[in-house]
Amino acid sequence: MIADQRNSASLQTRHFIFILVAVSVALPLIFKIGLPLKVTAEVQGAYDFIDELPEGSAVIFSFDHDTGTLPEMIPLAEALLRHCFKKNLKVLGLALLAEGAAVGDDNFRRIGNEYNKIYGVDYLFWGYRPQVTVAILGMGENIERVFPADYTGKDLRSFPVMQNIRNYHDIAAVITVADGDMPVSWVHYGQARYGVKVIPAVTAVMATTIYPFLQSGQVAGLIAGLRGAAEYEKLIGIPGKASRGMDAQSSAHILIIGLIIAGNIILIRERRRKRS
Amino acid sequence: MLVQFFVPHRASTTLYEMVLDWVQIIYAFSLLVGAAMLVRHHAKTALRPSAKDRPYSLIVLSGIGIMLVTGLFSSRGPGTAFLWIFQNVQAPMQATMFSLLSFFVASAAYRGFRARNTQAIFLLAAAVLVMLGRVPVGEMITSYFPDGADWLLNVPSMAARRGIYIGIALGTIATSLRVILGIERTYLGGK
Repeated sequence: MIADQRNSASLQTRHFIFILVAVSVALPLIFKIGLPLKVTAEVQGAYDFIDELPEGSAVIFSFDHDTGTLPEMIPLAEALLRHCFKKNLKVLGLALLAEGAAVGDDNFRRIGNEYNKIYGVDYLFWGYRPQVTVAILGMGENIERVFPADYTGKDLRSFPVMQNIRNYHDIAAVITVADGDMPVSWVHYGQARYGVKVIPAVTAVMATTIYPFLQSGQVAGLIAGLRGAAEYEKLIGIPGKASRGMDAQSSAHILIIGLIIAGNIILIRERRRKRS
Repeated sequence: MLVQFFVPHRASTTLYEMVLDWVQIIYAFSLLVGAAMLVRHHAKTALRPSAKDRPYSLIVLSGIGIMLVTGLFSSRGPGTAFLWIFQNVQAPMQATMFSLLSFFVASAAYRGFRARNTQAIFLLAAAVLVMLGRVPVGEMITSYFPDGADWLLNVPSMAARRGIYIGIALGTIATSLRVILGIERTYLGGK
Protein backbone atom coordinates (compact mmCIF):
# COMPACT_ATOMS: atom_id res chain seq x y z
CA MET A 1 0.00 0.00 0.00
CA ILE A 2 2.78 2.42 1.03
CA ALA A 3 4.84 1.28 -1.97
CA ASP A 4 1.89 1.99 -4.30
CA GLN A 5 1.45 5.46 -2.81
CA ARG A 6 5.18 6.16 -3.29
CA ASN A 7 5.08 4.99 -6.93
CA SER A 8 2.02 7.12 -7.61
CA ALA A 9 3.68 10.21 -6.03
CA SER A 10 6.87 9.59 -8.03
CA LEU A 11 4.85 9.30 -11.26
CA GLN A 12 2.97 12.52 -10.46
CA THR A 13 6.27 14.35 -9.80
CA ARG A 14 7.67 13.07 -13.10
CA HIS A 15 4.61 14.19 -15.04
CA PHE A 16 4.76 17.59 -13.33
CA ILE A 17 8.44 17.92 -14.39
CA PHE A 18 7.54 16.95 -17.98
CA ILE A 19 4.87 19.68 -18.07
CA LEU A 20 7.34 22.22 -16.64
CA VAL A 21 9.90 21.33 -19.36
CA ALA A 22 7.28 21.67 -22.11
CA VAL A 23 6.14 25.06 -20.79
CA SER A 24 9.69 26.36 -20.23
CA VAL A 25 10.63 25.52 -23.84
CA ALA A 26 7.37 26.55 -25.52
CA LEU A 27 6.79 29.94 -23.88
CA PRO A 28 10.07 31.62 -24.97
CA LEU A 29 9.49 30.32 -28.51
CA ILE A 30 6.00 31.90 -28.59
CA PHE A 31 6.85 35.13 -26.74
CA LYS A 32 10.27 36.29 -27.95
CA ILE A 33 12.53 37.59 -25.15
CA GLY A 34 15.71 38.35 -27.13
CA LEU A 35 18.40 37.88 -24.50
CA PRO A 36 21.76 39.50 -25.43
CA LEU A 37 24.44 37.15 -26.70
CA LYS A 38 28.24 37.50 -26.60
CA VAL A 39 30.21 36.04 -29.52
CA THR A 40 32.88 33.57 -28.41
CA ALA A 41 36.42 33.50 -29.85
CA GLU A 42 36.00 30.11 -31.57
CA VAL A 43 32.88 31.22 -33.49
CA GLN A 44 34.53 34.55 -34.34
CA GLY A 45 37.54 32.57 -35.65
CA ALA A 46 35.34 30.51 -37.98
CA TYR A 47 33.49 33.61 -39.18
CA ASP A 48 36.71 35.56 -39.81
CA PHE A 49 38.23 32.67 -41.74
CA ILE A 50 35.27 32.41 -44.13
CA ASP A 51 34.83 36.17 -44.34
CA GLU A 52 38.44 36.65 -45.46
CA LEU A 53 38.23 34.11 -48.29
CA PRO A 54 38.46 35.72 -51.73
CA GLU A 55 35.33 35.70 -53.90
CA GLY A 56 35.08 32.49 -55.96
CA SER A 57 36.95 30.31 -53.46
CA ALA A 58 35.52 26.82 -53.13
CA VAL A 59 34.28 25.42 -49.84
CA ILE A 60 32.96 21.93 -49.12
CA PHE A 61 29.97 21.40 -46.82
CA SER A 62 29.90 17.89 -45.39
CA PHE A 63 26.54 16.92 -43.86
CA ASP A 64 27.70 14.31 -41.38
CA HIS A 65 24.58 13.88 -39.27
CA ASP A 66 21.31 12.02 -39.11
CA THR A 67 17.82 13.48 -38.77
CA GLY A 68 17.55 13.10 -34.98
CA THR A 69 19.64 16.22 -34.42
CA LEU A 70 18.06 18.39 -37.13
CA PRO A 71 16.82 21.12 -34.72
CA GLU A 72 20.46 21.79 -33.82
CA MET A 73 22.05 21.04 -37.21
CA ILE A 74 19.76 23.02 -39.51
CA PRO A 75 20.38 26.45 -37.88
CA LEU A 76 24.14 25.78 -38.00
CA ALA A 77 24.07 24.80 -41.67
CA GLU A 78 21.74 27.65 -42.64
CA ALA A 79 23.85 30.36 -40.98
CA LEU A 80 27.08 29.08 -42.55
CA LEU A 81 25.50 28.60 -46.00
CA ARG A 82 24.06 32.14 -45.90
CA HIS A 83 27.51 33.52 -45.13
CA CYS A 84 29.14 31.53 -47.96
CA PHE A 85 26.50 32.50 -50.54
CA LYS A 86 26.65 36.13 -49.38
CA LYS A 87 30.42 36.06 -49.96
CA ASN A 88 29.92 34.57 -53.48
CA LEU A 89 31.93 31.46 -52.70
CA LYS A 90 31.61 28.24 -54.71
CA VAL A 91 29.68 25.94 -52.40
CA LEU A 92 30.06 22.18 -52.84
CA GLY A 93 28.29 19.61 -50.71
CA LEU A 94 28.41 15.96 -49.70
CA ALA A 95 27.22 13.64 -46.95
CA LEU A 96 29.20 10.99 -45.12
CA LEU A 97 26.06 9.71 -43.38
CA ALA A 98 23.23 8.52 -45.64
CA GLU A 99 20.55 10.69 -44.03
CA GLY A 100 22.65 13.81 -44.47
CA ALA A 101 22.30 13.59 -48.26
CA ALA A 102 18.62 14.54 -48.49
CA VAL A 103 19.06 17.15 -45.74
CA GLY A 104 22.08 18.68 -47.45
CA ASP A 105 20.53 18.82 -50.91
CA ASP A 106 17.41 20.50 -49.52
CA ASN A 107 19.47 23.05 -47.56
CA PHE A 108 21.61 23.88 -50.57
CA ARG A 109 18.63 24.50 -52.87
CA ARG A 110 16.61 26.43 -50.25
CA ILE A 111 19.39 28.79 -49.14
CA GLY A 112 20.78 28.98 -52.70
CA ASN A 113 17.39 30.24 -53.91
CA GLU A 114 17.42 32.96 -51.22
CA TYR A 115 20.56 34.37 -52.86
CA ASN A 116 19.48 33.65 -56.47
CA LYS A 117 22.30 31.15 -56.91
CA ILE A 118 22.19 28.63 -59.75
CA TYR A 119 22.66 24.90 -59.19
CA GLY A 120 25.75 23.66 -60.97
CA VAL A 121 27.09 27.18 -61.55
CA ASP A 122 27.34 28.59 -58.01
CA TYR A 123 26.79 25.47 -55.95
CA LEU A 124 26.60 21.71 -56.34
CA PHE A 125 25.61 18.77 -54.18
CA TRP A 126 27.54 15.55 -54.79
CA GLY A 127 25.54 13.20 -52.54
CA TYR A 128 26.45 10.42 -50.13
CA ARG A 129 29.50 8.18 -49.97
CA PRO A 130 29.96 5.34 -47.49
CA GLN A 131 33.16 4.59 -45.54
CA VAL A 132 34.29 7.89 -44.06
CA THR A 133 38.05 7.30 -44.06
CA VAL A 134 38.28 6.19 -47.66
CA ALA A 135 35.92 8.93 -48.90
CA ILE A 136 37.97 11.66 -47.19
CA LEU A 137 41.31 10.21 -48.35
CA GLY A 138 39.99 9.63 -51.87
CA MET A 139 38.95 13.26 -52.32
CA GLY A 140 42.49 14.27 -51.37
CA GLU A 141 43.67 12.55 -54.56
CA ASN A 142 40.76 13.13 -56.93
CA ILE A 143 37.24 14.30 -56.07
CA GLU A 144 35.83 13.09 -59.39
CA ARG A 145 36.98 9.54 -58.62
CA VAL A 146 34.99 9.51 -55.36
CA PHE A 147 32.01 11.39 -56.84
CA PRO A 148 31.81 10.74 -60.61
CA ALA A 149 28.25 12.17 -60.60
CA ASP A 150 26.24 14.65 -58.54
CA TYR A 151 23.27 13.79 -56.27
CA THR A 152 20.90 13.70 -59.25
CA GLY A 153 23.21 11.40 -61.23
CA LYS A 154 24.65 13.90 -63.75
CA ASP A 155 28.32 13.80 -64.74
CA LEU A 156 30.35 15.98 -62.35
CA ARG A 157 32.44 17.49 -65.18
CA SER A 158 29.30 18.83 -66.87
CA PHE A 159 28.91 21.47 -64.13
CA PRO A 160 30.77 24.80 -64.54
CA VAL A 161 31.25 25.08 -60.75
CA MET A 162 33.60 22.06 -60.90
CA GLN A 163 36.03 23.70 -63.32
CA ASN A 164 39.57 23.86 -61.88
CA ILE A 165 38.60 21.75 -58.89
CA ARG A 166 40.44 18.44 -58.64
CA ASN A 167 41.25 17.79 -54.98
CA TYR A 168 41.78 19.53 -51.62
CA HIS A 169 44.45 21.81 -53.13
CA ASP A 170 41.60 23.64 -54.84
CA ILE A 171 39.41 23.78 -51.72
CA ALA A 172 39.65 26.68 -49.25
CA ALA A 173 37.89 24.91 -46.37
CA VAL A 174 35.80 21.92 -45.38
CA ILE A 175 32.84 22.79 -43.16
CA THR A 176 31.64 19.64 -41.44
CA VAL A 177 28.13 19.87 -39.99
CA ALA A 178 28.18 16.88 -37.66
CA ASP A 179 26.43 15.32 -34.69
CA GLY A 180 29.13 12.75 -34.01
CA ASP A 181 32.92 12.64 -34.12
CA MET A 182 33.15 12.86 -37.92
CA PRO A 183 35.09 16.18 -37.68
CA VAL A 184 37.86 14.18 -35.97
CA SER A 185 38.11 12.01 -39.11
CA TRP A 186 38.24 15.16 -41.24
CA VAL A 187 41.12 16.43 -39.07
CA HIS A 188 42.95 13.08 -39.11
CA TYR A 189 42.66 12.34 -42.83
CA GLY A 190 41.80 15.65 -44.50
CA GLN A 191 43.77 18.18 -42.46
CA ALA A 192 46.75 16.10 -41.25
CA ARG A 193 47.29 14.26 -44.55
CA TYR A 194 46.34 16.89 -47.15
CA GLY A 195 46.40 20.16 -45.17
CA VAL A 196 42.83 21.22 -45.96
CA LYS A 197 41.33 23.68 -43.45
CA VAL A 198 38.51 22.20 -41.38
CA ILE A 199 35.69 24.12 -39.68
CA PRO A 200 33.51 21.90 -37.49
CA ALA A 201 29.89 22.89 -36.82
CA VAL A 202 28.80 20.36 -34.23
CA THR A 203 26.17 19.64 -31.59
CA ALA A 204 26.89 21.15 -28.18
CA VAL A 205 27.71 17.79 -26.61
CA MET A 206 30.43 17.15 -29.21
CA ALA A 207 32.24 20.47 -28.57
CA THR A 208 34.63 19.02 -25.98
CA THR A 209 35.82 16.47 -28.56
CA ILE A 210 36.89 19.27 -30.89
CA TYR A 211 38.50 21.65 -28.36
CA PRO A 212 41.96 19.94 -28.45
CA PHE A 213 42.11 20.43 -32.25
CA LEU A 214 41.07 24.06 -31.85
CA GLN A 215 43.91 24.74 -29.44
CA SER A 216 46.43 22.95 -31.67
CA GLY A 217 45.31 25.07 -34.65
CA GLN A 218 44.14 22.04 -36.66
CA VAL A 219 40.67 23.51 -37.04
CA ALA A 220 40.07 27.09 -38.16
CA GLY A 221 37.22 27.67 -35.70
CA LEU A 222 34.39 25.92 -33.95
CA ILE A 223 30.66 26.51 -34.04
CA ALA A 224 29.00 24.36 -31.40
CA GLY A 225 25.32 23.81 -30.76
CA LEU A 226 22.39 26.14 -30.96
CA ARG A 227 24.43 28.80 -29.16
CA GLY A 228 27.17 28.65 -31.79
CA ALA A 229 24.55 28.97 -34.52
CA ALA A 230 22.96 31.95 -32.72
CA GLU A 231 26.37 33.65 -32.44
CA TYR A 232 26.98 33.06 -36.15
CA GLU A 233 23.55 34.46 -37.01
CA LYS A 234 24.48 37.54 -34.99
CA LEU A 235 27.77 37.91 -36.89
CA ILE A 236 26.16 37.67 -40.33
CA GLY A 237 23.33 39.94 -39.17
CA ILE A 238 20.52 37.53 -40.04
CA PRO A 239 18.73 36.33 -36.91
CA GLY A 240 17.10 32.95 -37.49
CA LYS A 241 15.97 29.77 -35.76
CA ALA A 242 18.99 29.60 -33.44
CA SER A 243 18.53 33.13 -32.05
CA ARG A 244 14.90 32.28 -31.21
CA GLY A 245 15.93 28.94 -29.73
CA MET A 246 18.47 30.50 -27.34
CA ASP A 247 15.72 31.97 -25.14
CA ALA A 248 14.11 28.52 -24.87
CA GLN A 249 17.48 26.95 -24.09
CA SER A 250 18.12 29.55 -21.37
CA SER A 251 14.80 28.89 -19.66
CA ALA A 252 15.25 25.10 -19.94
CA HIS A 253 18.72 25.34 -18.34
CA ILE A 254 17.36 27.51 -15.53
CA LEU A 255 14.57 24.98 -14.95
CA ILE A 256 17.02 22.06 -14.78
CA ILE A 257 19.24 23.97 -12.33
CA GLY A 258 16.12 24.71 -10.27
CA LEU A 259 15.20 21.02 -10.28
CA ILE A 260 18.73 20.05 -9.19
CA ILE A 261 18.53 22.54 -6.30
CA ALA A 262 15.06 21.26 -5.33
CA GLY A 263 16.29 17.66 -5.43
CA ASN A 264 19.23 18.51 -3.18
CA ILE A 265 17.07 20.42 -0.68
CA ILE A 266 14.95 17.26 -0.38
CA LEU A 267 18.12 15.21 0.15
CA ILE A 268 19.35 17.54 2.94
CA ARG A 269 15.94 17.49 4.65
CA GLU A 270 15.83 13.68 4.49
CA ARG A 271 19.32 13.46 6.02
CA ARG A 272 18.35 15.82 8.87
CA ARG A 273 15.16 13.88 9.52
CA LYS A 274 17.10 10.60 9.69
CA ARG A 275 19.66 12.10 12.11
CA SER A 276 16.96 13.47 14.39
CA MET B 1 49.37 1.79 -47.75
CA LEU B 2 52.18 2.57 -45.31
CA VAL B 3 54.81 2.58 -48.08
CA GLN B 4 52.59 4.69 -50.32
CA PHE B 5 52.41 7.35 -47.64
CA PHE B 6 56.18 7.90 -47.87
CA VAL B 7 56.63 7.24 -51.62
CA PRO B 8 54.59 9.68 -53.68
CA HIS B 9 55.43 7.92 -56.98
CA ARG B 10 52.83 7.72 -59.77
CA ALA B 11 52.68 3.92 -59.52
CA SER B 12 52.13 3.93 -55.76
CA THR B 13 49.49 6.68 -56.10
CA THR B 14 47.61 4.65 -58.73
CA LEU B 15 47.72 1.60 -56.47
CA TYR B 16 46.58 3.73 -53.53
CA GLU B 17 43.59 5.09 -55.50
CA MET B 18 42.68 1.56 -56.57
CA VAL B 19 42.73 0.33 -52.97
CA LEU B 20 40.51 3.25 -51.94
CA ASP B 21 38.04 2.36 -54.72
CA TRP B 22 37.95 -1.28 -53.63
CA VAL B 23 37.40 -0.44 -49.96
CA GLN B 24 34.38 1.69 -50.95
CA ILE B 25 32.97 -1.07 -53.15
CA ILE B 26 33.38 -3.68 -50.38
CA TYR B 27 31.81 -1.29 -47.85
CA ALA B 28 28.83 -0.65 -50.15
CA PHE B 29 28.27 -4.41 -50.49
CA SER B 30 28.51 -4.82 -46.72
CA LEU B 31 25.64 -2.31 -46.42
CA LEU B 32 23.68 -4.49 -48.84
CA VAL B 33 24.38 -7.57 -46.73
CA GLY B 34 23.25 -5.66 -43.61
CA ALA B 35 19.99 -4.61 -45.29
CA ALA B 36 19.37 -8.18 -46.53
CA MET B 37 19.91 -9.60 -43.03
CA LEU B 38 17.50 -7.03 -41.57
CA VAL B 39 14.83 -7.95 -44.14
CA ARG B 40 15.37 -11.69 -43.54
CA HIS B 41 15.09 -11.30 -39.77
CA HIS B 42 11.87 -9.29 -39.93
CA ALA B 43 10.39 -11.40 -42.73
CA LYS B 44 10.73 -14.47 -40.49
CA THR B 45 8.88 -12.68 -37.67
CA ALA B 46 6.25 -11.25 -40.02
CA LEU B 47 5.46 -14.70 -41.43
CA ARG B 48 4.77 -16.16 -37.98
CA PRO B 49 1.18 -15.18 -37.02
CA SER B 50 1.82 -16.06 -33.36
CA ALA B 51 4.91 -13.82 -33.05
CA LYS B 52 4.47 -11.09 -30.44
CA ASP B 53 6.56 -8.56 -32.41
CA ARG B 54 4.83 -9.26 -35.74
CA PRO B 55 3.25 -5.76 -36.09
CA TYR B 56 6.65 -4.09 -35.59
CA SER B 57 8.28 -6.31 -38.20
CA LEU B 58 5.49 -5.52 -40.65
CA ILE B 59 6.05 -1.79 -40.07
CA VAL B 60 9.82 -2.19 -40.64
CA LEU B 61 9.27 -4.17 -43.85
CA SER B 62 6.68 -1.71 -45.17
CA GLY B 63 9.03 1.18 -44.38
CA ILE B 64 11.92 -0.46 -46.20
CA GLY B 65 9.67 -1.35 -49.15
CA ILE B 66 8.16 2.12 -49.52
CA MET B 67 11.52 3.93 -49.30
CA LEU B 68 13.12 1.43 -51.69
CA VAL B 69 10.40 1.82 -54.31
CA THR B 70 10.23 5.64 -54.05
CA GLY B 71 14.03 5.87 -54.01
CA LEU B 72 14.55 3.62 -57.01
CA PHE B 73 11.68 4.76 -59.20
CA SER B 74 11.70 8.53 -58.60
CA SER B 75 14.52 11.04 -58.89
CA ARG B 76 16.15 12.39 -55.73
CA GLY B 77 15.70 16.11 -56.28
CA PRO B 78 13.10 18.45 -54.77
CA GLY B 79 9.38 17.66 -55.07
CA THR B 80 9.81 13.88 -55.18
CA ALA B 81 7.88 11.31 -53.10
CA PHE B 82 11.16 10.09 -51.60
CA LEU B 83 12.07 13.54 -50.28
CA TRP B 84 8.49 14.17 -49.09
CA ILE B 85 8.46 10.98 -46.99
CA PHE B 86 11.96 11.72 -45.71
CA GLN B 87 11.12 15.29 -44.67
CA ASN B 88 7.61 14.69 -43.35
CA VAL B 89 7.82 11.25 -41.79
CA GLN B 90 11.36 10.13 -41.03
CA ALA B 91 12.90 13.47 -39.99
CA PRO B 92 10.09 14.51 -37.57
CA MET B 93 9.95 11.02 -36.04
CA GLN B 94 13.69 10.88 -35.37
CA ALA B 95 13.79 14.48 -34.12
CA THR B 96 10.88 13.69 -31.78
CA MET B 97 12.68 10.66 -30.37
CA PHE B 98 15.78 12.76 -29.74
CA SER B 99 13.76 15.64 -28.24
CA LEU B 100 12.20 13.30 -25.67
CA LEU B 101 15.65 13.22 -24.07
CA SER B 102 15.15 16.72 -22.64
CA PHE B 103 12.16 15.51 -20.58
CA PHE B 104 14.05 12.54 -19.20
CA VAL B 105 17.19 14.63 -18.55
CA ALA B 106 15.13 17.10 -16.50
CA SER B 107 13.46 14.30 -14.55
CA ALA B 108 16.78 12.51 -13.97
CA ALA B 109 18.42 15.78 -12.87
CA TYR B 110 15.77 16.18 -10.17
CA ARG B 111 15.88 12.58 -8.94
CA GLY B 112 19.52 11.62 -9.43
CA PHE B 113 21.77 14.70 -9.38
CA ARG B 114 22.33 14.70 -5.62
CA ALA B 115 25.36 15.97 -3.66
CA ARG B 116 25.90 12.66 -1.84
CA ASN B 117 29.74 12.93 -1.63
CA THR B 118 32.67 15.23 -2.53
CA GLN B 119 32.97 13.94 -6.13
CA ALA B 120 29.24 14.45 -6.67
CA ILE B 121 29.52 18.03 -5.35
CA PHE B 122 32.30 18.78 -7.90
CA LEU B 123 30.27 17.21 -10.70
CA LEU B 124 27.22 19.19 -9.67
CA ALA B 125 29.15 22.47 -9.51
CA ALA B 126 30.71 21.85 -12.94
CA ALA B 127 27.31 21.01 -14.47
CA VAL B 128 25.65 24.14 -13.05
CA LEU B 129 28.58 26.33 -14.15
CA VAL B 130 28.56 25.02 -17.75
CA MET B 131 24.76 25.10 -18.01
CA LEU B 132 24.67 28.74 -16.90
CA GLY B 133 27.83 29.73 -18.75
CA ARG B 134 26.63 28.47 -22.12
CA VAL B 135 23.35 30.41 -22.23
CA PRO B 136 22.72 34.19 -22.44
CA VAL B 137 20.97 34.29 -19.07
CA GLY B 138 24.24 33.23 -17.38
CA GLU B 139 26.04 36.19 -18.95
CA MET B 140 23.30 38.49 -17.72
CA ILE B 141 23.78 37.32 -14.12
CA THR B 142 27.59 37.68 -14.12
CA SER B 143 30.45 37.39 -16.63
CA TYR B 144 32.08 34.86 -14.27
CA PHE B 145 29.68 32.18 -15.52
CA PRO B 146 30.79 32.19 -19.21
CA ASP B 147 34.43 32.74 -18.20
CA GLY B 148 34.26 29.88 -15.70
CA ALA B 149 32.57 27.58 -18.21
CA ASP B 150 35.22 28.41 -20.83
CA TRP B 151 38.00 27.69 -18.33
CA LEU B 152 36.41 24.39 -17.38
CA LEU B 153 36.15 23.33 -21.03
CA ASN B 154 39.56 24.63 -22.08
CA VAL B 155 41.67 23.45 -19.14
CA PRO B 156 40.52 20.45 -17.03
CA SER B 157 38.18 18.96 -19.65
CA MET B 158 40.74 19.43 -22.42
CA ALA B 159 43.52 17.87 -20.28
CA ALA B 160 41.36 14.78 -19.75
CA ARG B 161 40.44 14.65 -23.43
CA ARG B 162 44.09 14.94 -24.51
CA GLY B 163 45.00 12.13 -22.11
CA ILE B 164 42.31 9.93 -23.66
CA TYR B 165 43.48 10.76 -27.22
CA ILE B 166 47.12 10.04 -26.39
CA GLY B 167 46.10 6.77 -24.73
CA ILE B 168 44.04 5.75 -27.77
CA ALA B 169 46.91 6.62 -30.13
CA LEU B 170 49.46 4.62 -28.13
CA GLY B 171 47.05 1.69 -27.90
CA THR B 172 46.43 1.80 -31.66
CA ILE B 173 50.18 1.89 -32.41
CA ALA B 174 50.83 -1.00 -30.01
CA THR B 175 48.00 -3.12 -31.48
CA SER B 176 49.07 -2.31 -35.07
CA LEU B 177 52.67 -3.33 -34.31
CA ARG B 178 51.46 -6.58 -32.73
CA VAL B 179 49.42 -7.36 -35.86
CA ILE B 180 52.23 -6.39 -38.28
CA LEU B 181 54.85 -8.40 -36.35
CA GLY B 182 52.53 -11.42 -36.13
CA ILE B 183 52.28 -11.38 -32.33
CA GLU B 184 48.54 -10.71 -32.46
CA ARG B 185 46.78 -13.46 -34.46
CA THR B 186 43.31 -13.60 -32.95
CA TYR B 187 41.86 -11.95 -36.07
CA LEU B 188 43.00 -15.06 -38.00
CA GLY B 189 41.24 -17.33 -35.55
CA GLY B 190 44.42 -18.15 -33.58
CA LYS B 191 45.11 -17.65 -29.87
